[in-house]
Amino acid sequence: MPEYATLDKTLTAMYEVISFPEGSEPDWHRMKSLFHASARLVRITPEGVEFFDLPSFQAMSMEMLDRGLYTCFFEVELARTAQVFGSFAHVLSAYETKRSPYASSCLTRGVNSIQLLSTSAGWQVLSLMWDEESERNRLELSQLFK
Amino acid sequence: MAKLSRYRISPTRSNDVVCRMIGEAESKKTMMLTAGRYQGRRVELDGRMLYSFGTCSYMGLDKSADLQEAACTALKSYGTQFSISRAYLKCPIYDELETTLQVMTGRPVLVAPSTTLAHMAALPAIIHDNDALLIDQFAHASLQLATELLHDVPVRLVRHNRIDLLEELLADLSRQYERIWYVIDGLYSMFGDFAPFHDLVGVLDRWPQLHLYIDDAHATGWLGLHGRGGALTHLGNHSRVVVALSLNKAFAAAGAALALPNDELKTRIRRCGGPMLFSGPIQPPMLGAALASAKLHLTSSHALAQVELAKRIDYTLAAAQNAGLELATQHRTPIFFIPHDSVNEATDQVHALMRNNFYVCPSGFPAVPMNRPGVRFTITLHNEIEDIDALIDAAIKSAPKTKSPSICEFPEVACSSSETPTSR
Repeated sequence: MPEYATLDKTLTAMYEVISFPEGSEPDWHRMKSLFHASARLVRITPEGVEFFDLPSFQAMSMEMLDRGLYTCFFEVELARTAQVFGSFAHVLSAYETKRSPYASSCLTRGVNSIQLLSTSAGWQVLSLMWDEESERNRLELSQLFK
Repeated sequence: MAKLSRYRISPTRSNDVVCRMIGEAESKKTMMLTAGRYQGRRVELDGRMLYSFGTCSYMGLDKSADLQEAACTALKSYGTQFSISRAYLKCPIYDELETTLQVMTGRPVLVAPSTTLAHMAALPAIIHDNDALLIDQFAHASLQLATELLHDVPVRLVRHNRIDLLEELLADLSRQYERIWYVIDGLYSMFGDFAPFHDLVGVLDRWPQLHLYIDDAHATGWLGLHGRGGALTHLGNHSRVVVALSLNKAFAAAGAALALPNDELKTRIRRCGGPMLFSGPIQPPMLGAALASAKLHLTSSHALAQVELAKRIDYTLAAAQNAGLELATQHRTPIFFIPHDSVNEATDQVHALMRNNFYVCPSGFPAVPMNRPGVRFTITLHNEIEDIDALIDAAIKSAPKTKSPSICEFPEVACSSSETPTSR
């Protein structure tokens, strides 16, 4: 059975590979198996939208780490809805980022929009797009995840 | 600059983010504030006198009558400006100031108009075409800025205080480059942690191509013999170490002092360091204040004042520990950082402390990494013991109700009490 045989296994792994403690970095090797070779990552911020493939996302992340913009990263899932048809799935996954896994409050919250493709390797991430909560962009979990 | 990055973060995008985040802090009334009266111990904000735990005037010299009198005397002698490049003609106070600073530091000294301009003058003048540069990721923004002037020199960022990574890079670069400069802060201004000086002594011994350039602005005046700072205290008069000291902050005047290993380097920076030729000099009143401060640093009364500040630092660390107040580091410095899990938590605590009549500094990106927000406070000789007790008490009461377990981010205690002279 493939490692990412279920959506849940893939999504759990996705949050694991992007999280890392002080002195470390994301698990790039595992991310490569989790994401489809044609995967795209799209970051939406108040300043604009940025588009990456895996190599450019890794390069951007490492530059931010080198510059000390981040020194560690922990992202956990808060809620999820999924729709599946045939070989694809679309998942809305609310998240929060934290200073440490034990932090009592979060640094940011937002929503990941994830498209996944069922392949011989299991469910692979084909597209990951995220936007953060802000004063003008409130995240109401009960409304978004009824 | 040949910065060896794998991805180019757009400077415009970076500025947009910084502008937004500073704007958010401004709208929450924690940054971009304007003071009213300033009495050293207290500062006026919105009509209320708050106990000041935010300035870097660690020795409390900003209210020194001697410095003020010296500034007035210089003002009357030379005017508000001595408006001509030092390349042509300099105010005579410069010579006495540099001579006095030479006694203070034990090295040839070149005075610059500011620490930022000192870096911009020194780095391009002393780093050659066949050199490479390594810079700590948390090195002060003025150092990062100065490296932008090194057009053909490869520049690499090194994770904070990671001697293991430094040595890996030295092993790699020493095969290609004549000299490798490691650019760091002596005392990091936000979390209050020292550079790993003890380790650096060994690294200097192991790597003859290694040279250090250290911004010791926040350790100037209060640490080491005559207040010469942490770098010169630990590394001595090492021939491969250049140190920049601040004549602001604890020194309470203006400008910077480059403490150099030899006169040749001083002459080179004086002759070809851009801001030494093209920027305006320090204004005479502040040159007068700087000279008075430098003379004061050589006295036994200043050594006793250093001991007094060290006592207050120790008292603050002990009081925080006894009260259960988490700090980012236990290093013996006058800079303290209360970590928070979010910017909102830090902002709430700053507001709560202000309501309780304490001025402290919120700390978020870009001053600290995005995942390390917190509240920074400083101790100066203006702060009385009862002020410190009251601040710690208020900080505990305003801490989040459910606090996450502490993370020891800077476990190494770099400086012992023996580094602050007990007498002279």
